[in-house]
Amino acid sequence: MATLNLQSEINKKLAPQVRPEIRKLFQRSFQKKKNEMIAEFLNHPVTIEIKGGVDSTNVSGTLGGGSGNLFSFIGFDSKDDPIDPILKILEQISFDYLNTSTKRINYRINLPSAKEIFAATPMPWATGRSWAKGIETGISGLGFYLRKETPNSRSGLGVQSPRKVRKKSKFKNVKYISDLIKRYEKEFSNLQI
Amino acid sequence: MKPQYQHELMTSFMLWFDHELLQKGEAYSNQTGSFYYSDDTRLPNEYKSYSSPYKQWVNDSSINGDTNPIIPSSLMGSGRNDGIIFDFENGRIIETGGNFGTNNTITGSFAVKDFNIYLTNETEEDLILENKFELNSRYAKTETGVNPYDQMAPAIFLNCEYMRNEGFAFGGEEKTTNIVKAIVLAENSYQLDGALSIFADSSRKIISKIPFSKHPSTEYGDIKNGLYNYTNLANTYLTANPYYIEDVTVSKFSEKKQGIIPGNLKIGFIDFEVSANRFPRS
Repeated sequence: MATLNLQSEINKKLAPQVRPEIRKLFQRSFQKKKNEMIAEFLNHPVTIEIKGGVDSTNVSGTLGGGSGNLFSFIGFDSKDDPIDPILKILEQISFDYLNTSTKRINYRINLPSAKEIFAATPMPWATGRSWAKGIETGISGLGFYLRKETPNSRSGLGVQSPRKVRKKSKFKNVKYISDLIKRYEKEFSNLQI
Repeated sequence: MKPQYQHELMTSFMLWFDHELLQKGEAYSNQTGSFYYSDDTRLPNEYKSYSSPYKQWVNDSSINGDTNPIIPSSLMGSGRNDGIIFDFENGRIIETGGNFGTNNTITGSFAVKDFNIYLTNETEEDLILENKFELNSRYAKTETGVNPYDQMAPAIFLNCEYMRNEGFAFGGEEKTTNIVKAIVLAENSYQLDGALSIFADSSRKIISKIPFSKHPSTEYGDIKNGLYNYTNLANTYLTANPYYIEDVTVSKFSEKKQGIIPGNLKIGFIDFEVSANRFPRS
């Protein structure tokens, strides 16, 4: 005599029907986490400093906290918005339905890799290099940074000079994109409704 | 101090880098020329130095190409057994015997690297904006010996500015990642593109961990035991937990910024991410 596995039948039959409702619930948790990630990025001292443009102070402490700021140090043009490409990538984070197993619906989170973000953040003076990666591994040029207004300066504030005009100090690396992506990979993979 | 991880990494990396450039790019040219007596106060009084117009010379006998590099082992009939030291680093010979007088005309053949390779602790801005390099005098009208110890372009400077450890496995195994930066100072765009192209293709390669004590050069820049073959040396140590090139990015210095660089050197950057698994606390 054939037997009916009731639980299995329920799972099979109900899953397609509840999927839209579950998706709505998941969408809510996902959006909350995504907003949290974007907020964390926007509140990072490096982001704040670069977003502040030529007038910002070195809140990130990467330049020893003294005069000068990252925006001018890296050599951006005053009209540049270096944060925007990263923000656009983060805003594209999405999820798709992957599959359904017993009592479980799996979604795939489309999170960018740090490498993708590095590719979208070229140094103004060497486009194969990434300023966002440089924040983590070091950026050269500090010895030539002058906090001086000059029409020749790309940013209108910093200028590179062939002669050192200020005692050289070391650029201090800080955790930035790689750390953010790594942490949120874990956060998203543990996401539940 | 005993050699540490970073010492061995940079020694191994430099030997690999030199070999890769010479072998893949055939980045050398055989030259025949005169040697000029030059006073070198750093040498013992009885040593006499005769410089060629070029540095650095190829010393790796595993390099082969359409024309194999000439690796000198004797000069006008005199060799190491006669007290001749071949200073490949500085493109010269140092005579410790009585083979040549300071007024003798000495000629010989050797292979000159297209790029001199240097390890440096100088920052990129110092190298690019402060230093004024002499060019290897291969195109000079009046031939003279090059000064020993001067750094000459075309050149590639290797520097390791960044290292981090992160947990890899239970039991204390960690993944150590280093960023090795190469600053390329080339004579022209063709040369620059060639060097950048060779190393852009080196991603996911492995590099043998060659012990510090196995570095092929002596204190005078000659080859230990008269023979250096990178391929054989690298194969000997290939199994000993090699370094892995995780990622490479290459980039050229902006043409717009070229104006602030002294001379006409073309600048490029190669950034290597090199990792190895190890037990740093054991």
